Parts: sequence; C-alpha cells; structure tokens
Amino acid sequence: MSESAFAVLGLFDSADRLMKAIPAVRARGLGRLEAYTPYPIHGMDDALGLRRSPLGGMVLVMGILGALTALGFQYWISAIDYPIVTGGKPPGSWEAFVPIMFEVTVLFATFTAGLGMLLLLNRLPFFGHPVLSSKAIKEITRDRFALSVEADAGPLDATAAREALSAAGAAHIEVLPDVGPRPFLTSDYVLRTLGGIFAACVVSGLLMYGAVKLFPVLPPMVHMLDQPRLNPQKADSFFKDGHGMQMPVPGTVARGYLPLGVASQEEAASLVNPLPRTKDVFALGRESFRRRCVVCHGALANGVGSLTAAYGAKPANLQAKQFLDYPDGKIYWVIVMGKNAMPSHAADLSETQRWAVVHYVRALQRAQNAKDEDLKVEGQR
Amino acid sequence: MNATTRPTPILLWAALALGAAGVVGAYLGAGPERFWANWILWFIFLFTVGLGSLFIVALEHLINAKWSVPIRRIPERLATLLLPVIPIGLIALGALPVLYPGTRPEALQNPILAGKAFWLGLPFFSARAVVCFALCLLGLGVLVRGSMRQDSSKDPAFNVRARKFAPGWMFIFAAVITLVAFDWISGLTPEWYSDIFGIYLFAGSFLAGLGATSLAILHLKARSRLEGVQNDHLYNLGGFMFAFTVFWSYIGFAQYMLMWYANLPDEVLYYKVRLEGPWHLVTIALAFFHFVLPFFVLVTRDAKGDSGRLRKVAFLMLGAHLLDLYWLIFPALGATPYFGWPEVSFAMFFLSLGLLWVRGAMEKGEDMPVGDPFLQEGLEFRL
Repeated sequence: MSESAFAVLGLFDSADRLMKAIPAVRARGLGRLEAYTPYPIHGMDDALGLRRSPLGGMVLVMGILGALTALGFQYWISAIDYPIVTGGKPPGSWEAFVPIMFEVTVLFATFTAGLGMLLLLNRLPFFGHPVLSSKAIKEITRDRFALSVEADAGPLDATAAREALSAAGAAHIEVLPDVGPRPFLTSDYVLRTLGGIFAACVVSGLLMYGAVKLFPVLPPMVHMLDQPRLNPQKADSFFKDGHGMQMPVPGTVARGYLPLGVASQEEAASLVNPLPRTKDVFALGRESFRRRCVVCHGALANGVGSLTAAYGAKPANLQAKQFLDYPDGKIYWVIVMGKNAMPSHAADLSETQRWAVVHYVRALQRAQNAKDEDLKVEGQR
Repeated sequence: MNATTRPTPILLWAALALGAAGVVGAYLGAGPERFWANWILWFIFLFTVGLGSLFIVALEHLINAKWSVPIRRIPERLATLLLPVIPIGLIALGALPVLYPGTRPEALQNPILAGKAFWLGLPFFSARAVVCFALCLLGLGVLVRGSMRQDSSKDPAFNVRARKFAPGWMFIFAAVITLVAFDWISGLTPEWYSDIFGIYLFAGSFLAGLGATSLAILHLKARSRLEGVQNDHLYNLGGFMFAFTVFWSYIGFAQYMLMWYANLPDEVLYYKVRLEGPWHLVTIALAFFHFVLPFFVLVTRDAKGDSGRLRKVAFLMLGAHLLDLYWLIFPALGATPYFGWPEVSFAMFFLSLGLLWVRGAMEKGEDMPVGDPFLQEGLEFRL
C-alpha cells in the first residue's frame, strides 16, 4: 500500500492478546502506538511506554502560585495600600488571609487541571478523530481491543504496520486514511461558531427579558434599604412636626461660633485680638481672606476687587486713613455683622478665622504703608 | 522467627522494665501532676492508634472496599491495642482529682463549672469512660474477632454481618471519639470548649491508625510476609494519609481562626497559652511536622507508593500525633513545656508495652483474612 494513512488499526479479541501484542509491535518502532479499548486496562500506560503526565506538576506549581497570589493581594491591600484596623486585628494579619488563599489555590489548581488536560494534553479542539469514523469503532466500544500504529513525525509505513500487527496476532486489520489537515478554523467552522454564539446571546437575552417581565423582580439583599430610618429633607411621621430633620434646640451654640458679646461697633472697639502673630495665623488669615474677602476688597484690601467692575459695588478701601486707625475689634465687628452692602460672614468664618483675617488685614495695611524700620528688621534677619 | 530478630524482645522487655522504674520514680520524684499528664498523654496516644485502626477496619466494611481486604488483618491486629489500653484508661481515672479542675471541690465556686458539675464530676465522668471502653470492646468483638473466626470457618456470613454492623458502629465511633476528646483532653480546660474538637481528635486518630498500619505492613513485607500486597495498596494508604493531613490542618486551623477572629477572652486564652514563650515554638513545630512536611513529602505520585518514603512519613505521622497530644495536654501544667527523664521513662514504658503487644498480635493467626471471599479480588487490585 502506497497511499498515506493516518493509522493502522489491529483488532484483538481479548485484553490479554492486546497486551501480549504490544511489546512485539512496539519493538518495530513504526510510529506512535495507541490503544482503544472498551474499558481501562491496568498496566496499559507502562506497556505503551506513555510518558508520565506533566499535569500533576503543573497543578502543583499553579496551586502554589494561587496561594502566593492571594497572599500577595491581601497583604498589599490590607497592610500596604490601605491599612485599616478591622475587628481589632493589626493590618496584615495572616490568619484572615488563609481561607481566601485556600480558595484561590483550589481555583488555580482546578482550572489548571481541567483546562490543561483538555487543551494541552488532549489536544482540543480536535474534531472528528479518524478512529471515530473507522468501521471498527462499534466493536471497539463493545468487546474488541484495538491497537493502532499512528503516524508520528514522518509518514506511516502502512504495509509494514499491517504486517507487524498481523504477526502480533491481530484478528482483523483496518487502515485509516489520512484526513489531511484537520478541519479546524475553516470559514464554515468559524461562521457556525459565531452564529452559535450570536444565537445563544439572542436566546438568553429574550429569556432574561421574558423572565424579568413575567416574574416579580426580587431585589437582592434589601435588609439595609428597608430598615426604618429618617431621610434628610423628607417628611416623616416620627416627629410631631412631620419633618425628617429637626432644628437644633434653641440656644444651641456650634463649636467655634461663640456669639459676639457686644451690642455695637463702638463697643466692639474694646475687643482684643486673642491670636498671636505667628506664621500659621497669618497663613490662615490669608487663606480665609482670599476665599471670602478678595472678590470685593481686592488682593491688597484697597477696595478694587473683581466684583467692583462687574456690579459697580463700592466696597471699602481698607487702606484708607479711616481704616488704618480702626481698632481690631471694629474690623471684627464688621466681619460678624456686615456693613452697608456687605453681608455678615459669621456663618462662613469661625471665630479663629475671623481674628486671623483681622491680623492679615493689618499686615496688608502695614505692607502698603511700610516704614524704613520694617526694611531694617528684614535686613537684620 | 529467625535468630536475627530474637534480641529485639529482650531489648523491649528491658526498656519496659527500665521505663516502669522511671514511671514509678516520676510519681515520687516529679510529682503527681506531671505523672498524670504523661499518663493521660500515653493513654490517649495508644487509644487513638487502636481506635484509628478499628476505624480503618470499619471503613472497609462500611463502603464495601475490596482493595483493602488483603491488608485488613493489620489494622485488625493493631485495634487489639484497645485491650491493654482499657486498664490503662481505668487507671487514668486517678488523674481526675489532680489535673481536671471540674472534679475539684473548688469548682463549685466557679459559676461556669458549678453549672456543669454533674457532667464534669467524677461519677459521671467515670461512667462515660466505662461506657466508651465497653463500646470499643463491642466494635472489637464484632469486627475483629468475627474476622479472625472467619479464617477457619470461611463463612461469608461474616461479611454480611460486618457490613450491616459498620454503619451503626460509625455513629458509635463518632460518639466515643468525641466523648474521649471532650472528657479527657478538653476536660483539662473545662471553661474552654470547641464543638469541632472531637473531629480534630478523629483526624489525628485516623492518621495515627494509618501511620501504624503502614509501618506494620512495611515491616512485615520486609520480612517476606503479606505476599501479594503491592505498592498499589500502599499507594492508597499514602493517599489517605495525604488527604487527612490536610483534613487535620483544615479542622485545626478552622478552630483556631474562628476563636482568633471572635477574640472572646474565655476562648482565646486556650491559644494565648500556646502562642507564648516556649509553647509558641511547639505550636510552630506542630504545624510544620503535622502539616507542612508530610504534605510536601506526600504530594508527588511516586511518594505515596514508595515504601522507603512511606515508612518515613508513617513514622513522622505517629510522632506528629504524639506531639499534637503533648501540645493539647501539657499546657495544663503551666507555661513550661516539660521534657525530661520522666517523659523519656513514660515513652520507654508505653512504647515498649505497645510494641510488645503488637508483636504478639502479629504472630497470632493468619496474616491475611484467608476466609474472606473478596481476598482474591483485593489481591488483584491495581491502580
């Protein structure tokens, strides 16, 4: 026979005969040997000289990798990136990592075992194995034992294989023709696969739509949403006045917002700025001044702010002689109470911030009216 | 018996005598507390080896296993260790007033212990122990004696009887090992309790039984007995050992982690004691020798069927089980892990006692259950 063959199948009547034939055929070294039997036969792996499956090693490596991955992730999250003490345990408590390490180990190991077996060792996707189209397949799956000599690297010498098998006592011999390149990734196959995926998407989408329409939707995990609670800005029957939010008790004083103890601006002149003139206080004053005052009074407190041009307002020029002579307390009073068109800033600036602004205004005034001594002091430092 | 093995029993008898002297000396020299702690340790050790072996026998009947028929006689013989262990256990009742806080009169001052006074007290404790021992004898009588009788009678009715008895006996076994774990080990710290503790001791007990069985089989095979037992049979024992080291660690760690997380004072105290000072080292050693080392030795396919490596792991398993019991029992004596001449004497005495008993048992009757109709099928077992 000169035609190219995928394999030559020899059929044997019993497992014993098959096992006895294997060494004789194997000694001829014609090609890869494979046995097809109705049930597993002990010792077949050794007889065929199959090498030990590398799957165990792969699973071990991936399992260890899984454990280390889980350990690394959890340690990085809970001890390095965002260390938070939960349950009174120090960040990076290894005990808490173990269950997840265990699960990820199992996950990596089983996926490696399953996919490695199917894709790497069983050579999937492999459609239509030639033995499945052989005439002998019915008998192989029932009561016959087949030994096949298959083309290994080079072409198979079908005549020699036939001879070797019949010499080894095969009852029947069948030559399986070479099917050529495997029918994989043909346009027909690709189209059918894509069509199948598309059909599956359509069907599952329609099913989901129907299920959601026909059956009541069960919201998951609603316990937290359903608990009785007061919603801000919403009516609620819990309180008598029907409001979800309640006003503070009359006379409530917020921290840092002590009421002013004086009745008029004249009286306020006696107030003394309680803050020291430190860098931090000036920094706070500058920050607060820039946020609340600059738009009208201008960066130099000279009354030229950006709002002046836009609206024609006439804010006070704090560099004027009148304000240079103002005591601290009177400036403070204006911040709290407002003056003319200026509104009160009491709600926006805390007591500390207001006094810091007073200091800063004084600094701005001094800067615009600097004396020679100021330079000297600077020079000496 | 050939001439080369004859000195062994003499050595064993000598060790037994020397150990006995040391045991008596320990009571006088080291005090009753340390004496009884050692006594409990060795009582539980031999008991769990015997009961674990009986579990292997019962497991075969329960699941109708054929592969283990040729080796069944070995765990059956090891299970007879329960016979000398019962008097040892009855003597161990003497430890109750010394080591077990629940039986002391001052326990009535403690509201927790006072509520459990009847359960922890000497009369009911002893009654439970006696019932447990009686149930062990029941298992021995039906499974082991019946199997020995089948050697001559060749009556397959035994297989049917054992198969019917095994499921019921598994419940009895669970009750016995749970009671023994709760009473004798957990009872040392009666304010601490863990629901899973019985299963923890069961895992150790099964491993100890497997270790002893594997060692005995390898020992006999090296002397050309147990003809026909293949590496495939050993492989299954190795596989069991591998699986149950993981099981033991799973149970042990689950117990630890829940208590560590909850951090309740009465629960964590048990581990606090074992994680401080020298006991911390013992804890780490236990995790290493009972889990890490056997896991990585047994993880490959070759290791489970290889007699050389299996022998080492079986030794390791027995040693680790002993360390486990030491770790469970000895912290009751205080922050110092005692190890000195009293412990060595006890080891000599009880090891030689156990070995002499097992040696004697190994010489009695057939090495395989020759009357079992499934023997041939078991011998033909291949992986």
